[in-house]
Amino acid sequence: MVRIEELTFGYGAGGFRLRVPDFTLQDGERVAIVGPSGSGKTTLLNLIAGILTPDQGRIEVAGTEVSNLADAERRKFRASRIGFVFQDFALLDYLPARQNILYPYRITPALILDAEARDRAETLAVACGIGDKLDRHPSELSQGEQQRVAICRALVTKPRLILSDEATGNLDPDSKARILDLLFERAADAGASVLAVTHDHELLPRFGRIVDFAQFREVDAA
Amino acid sequence: MNALFLAFAYLRYHWGRSLVLVLVTALILFVPVATQTLLSTSERALVARGEATPLLLGSRGSQLDLTMAALYFSDERPDPVEMREVETIWNSGLGIPIPVHTAFASSGFRIVGTTLDYFDFRDLTIADGRGLSVLGDAVIGADVAEALGKGVGDSLVSSPENLFDLDGVYPLEMPIVGVLEQTNTPDDQAVFVDIKTAWVIQGIGHGHEDVVTAADIAAGTDALANAAVVQYQRITPDNIESFHFHGSQDDFPASAVIIVPNDTRSATILKGRYLDTEGPSQLIEPAGVIRGLVDRIFRIKALLDGVTAIIAIAAFAAIGLAVFLSYRLRAREIATAVKLGARRGMVLRLLAAETVTLLLLSGGIAAVGAVVTARNAEAWVGWMLALGA
Amino acid sequence: MARFHKTILAGCLMLMPLGAAAQERPVVVTVNYPLKFLAEQLLGDAAEVVFPVPEDVDPSFWRPSISDISMIQSADLILLNGAGFATWVDRVSLPRARIVNTSAAIEGSFIATQSITHSHGDGGEHSHEGTASYLWLDPTLAAAQAEAIAGAVATRGLAPADDVEARLESLRAELMELDAEARDALAPAQGIAMIATHPRYQYLARAYGLSVASLEWDAGAMPGDEDLADLEALIEDTGARILIWESEPPAAAIDATNALGVESTIFNPLSGATAGASFFEAFSGAVSDLADAASRVPGN
Repeated sequence: MVRIEELTFGYGAGGFRLRVPDFTLQDGERVAIVGPSGSGKTTLLNLIAGILTPDQGRIEVAGTEVSNLADAERRKFRASRIGFVFQDFALLDYLPARQNILYPYRITPALILDAEARDRAETLAVACGIGDKLDRHPSELSQGEQQRVAICRALVTKPRLILSDEATGNLDPDSKARILDLLFERAADAGASVLAVTHDHELLPRFGRIVDFAQFREVDAA
Repeated sequence: MNALFLAFAYLRYHWGRSLVLVLVTALILFVPVATQTLLSTSERALVARGEATPLLLGSRGSQLDLTMAALYFSDERPDPVEMREVETIWNSGLGIPIPVHTAFASSGFRIVGTTLDYFDFRDLTIADGRGLSVLGDAVIGADVAEALGKGVGDSLVSSPENLFDLDGVYPLEMPIVGVLEQTNTPDDQAVFVDIKTAWVIQGIGHGHEDVVTAADIAAGTDALANAAVVQYQRITPDNIESFHFHGSQDDFPASAVIIVPNDTRSATILKGRYLDTEGPSQLIEPAGVIRGLVDRIFRIKALLDGVTAIIAIAAFAAIGLAVFLSYRLRAREIATAVKLGARRGMVLRLLAAETVTLLLLSGGIAAVGAVVTARNAEAWVGWMLALGA
Repeated sequence: MARFHKTILAGCLMLMPLGAAAQERPVVVTVNYPLKFLAEQLLGDAAEVVFPVPEDVDPSFWRPSISDISMIQSADLILLNGAGFATWVDRVSLPRARIVNTSAAIEGSFIATQSITHSHGDGGEHSHEGTASYLWLDPTLAAAQAEAIAGAVATRGLAPADDVEARLESLRAELMELDAEARDALAPAQGIAMIATHPRYQYLARAYGLSVASLEWDAGAMPGDEDLADLEALIEDTGARILIWESEPPAAAIDATNALGVESTIFNPLSGATAGASFFEAFSGAVSDLADAASRVPGN
């Protein structure tokens, strides 16, 4: 699903440098990335998603070499192939849950909002246990419910890969496991792989593989 | 479409903020337009009235006071001009003189004592009832009827005032015999009576056993007079014969005399006759006086425009700041949208859609306001000019 | 063929703006019969002259109804007598532009009557100077009123100015003739003191050198004892031999006054109804009746 070879990336002079000689994520695999804060975990997710462009090396996602794509292509690829789940949920307070789930369709011409997409949003919401809360605004939902909405949004576009950045970081301990299981279940349903950055060590056993990020970080000699 | 959907959802969710923005913007757009409309309508109404009144004869004094009193029935009371001046004009055969006597008021509206020629001259038509016929009759303007809720069959009492310090002058009760069509001129706010009735109010003409007392009213009869408990006098079929005027009508007063000259030549001759600055009377052209007034109003308007412009700039700056701050607040949304695959241009479109929606709503409200103002400008201006007077 | 031409002509007339002949004629309203008569003489068919006072009402005391007023207000010309005649005009709204005071030019010839003093409210005493109103009983004053009417009619274009001028000439001539006739007829009556039942004949008396004292009797009514006592006292005062009635009194009234030693005669002051007679006819009739009465006075 994801294949990275000889990747290097740096935030200008004096910043840290990221070097990933080799990293592979198999189809349907659930991988946790652990490492200290500021070690570049989020940067790696952004590189995989095509938001950042590597200095060197290649990144291939679902058979597409992201680093070679032009700007517009890369956005289209991101919108249709990758789902994001963020630590702060990144929901829009002015839209009800249903419209938050469908938000990706509203912001890019690459996705067409049709009846099928609406059905999918409905089905996902029911599967995530928020089928009766689709008309509520985020402020009327609990944190767990908000993250469920965010998960639905990440999956509604039928992505091949879910990038989760501390998705459980803001949740109370009871909810963390449930939400993560939910994410895995839904990703499995959709046939999507999951690459998750996390600090929650108690959740690590639920992942198929754990990658310690420290190995990828290089501090510039200078 | 999607940009508009999101913009509308955003505005609706933050409806309070949107409402304030829309209303403030609408106000800023509306105020200058409305001011302009009302001012230009005022100018037209003022100038039209001035130009429709060719010449005005009055006592020497403020030309503006004379014009305001005779054309707009204002509270100004120019020194009275004697009726012999009216006869002089008649005898000259150069034009039709129409005296107006505006010294009295009733229920806050000016009583205009004049002759029937006034109604022909101003082209006033009776909407209900009949015209002035008998001493004491009053015909009221449309606004008077509406404001007082009175019509044909009701009556008005002149305000008690002893302007000329004459003995035995009591307020006069006048039956309303007619209501005029709306004209959107000061005529709508006037109570018209025959000038002879105005003289009765002034005490120059009076009757005998014509005083209605509180006791009479209580007893349901007004046959007897008792000066001690007098309330007002009333002209009835029983006492009308006793009404009479003392002295020569030539000495009786009018506030001013509108003169409709037969032609330009007659006007020139008439103006020539009143050139003497030592004479007790002056003959003026109201149009010129009004133009002077309008010029002054428009100098004030220029100042007003400046103030409006400064306020508008300040208000737009405030709105701009509000919009900018709201964009800042939405930086996170923009970041999310970009991560989810939106173009930066998409974000700009979203914000533009919002701004355009706001402006359209404001513009719509302002436009409705402007249309309403334009439709009612004449009525409102008529009301304002009367209010100012 | 002739008929065809007539039809064409009629059609043309109707199409012409001057087909206004079909329109209503201008209306002239007068406040007494003499003015109506003078106006009709001057206007011919050019206008409709209306004298709105009913036959049985004295025009001096007439009060117009609202519908009368509305008719008068819509008239094209309103002829007033002036000299205090028809005081209702002071209490009615009239269009000043269409009012003509026919005696404005002869105010210098007015006869003042005694003043009436009264008071009201706390305004103190004041008096009303009276003016004798029956100007037309002096035909020369009637001629002056006719001139005023002619002037007003011509200025307002109610009739062609030339026609009016011509008619005025003949009217004036007729009035002068009437004057001369009355002067001749009444010359013998000059020395005889007379009493009128109502003060109506000031101008007649002045014009023909008559001396006429006045009572204030109700026209056409039977005089009461008090009235007769007044008459007797006045006869005593003036040595009057002739009593002038303004209208036919009851026969008993004539008997009662004859008993006091005066000859009765009726002189219609002509302000109102004339029983079908024209102004000229009624005036010369009354003058000759008065002359007859004078001739019946013993010693003449």
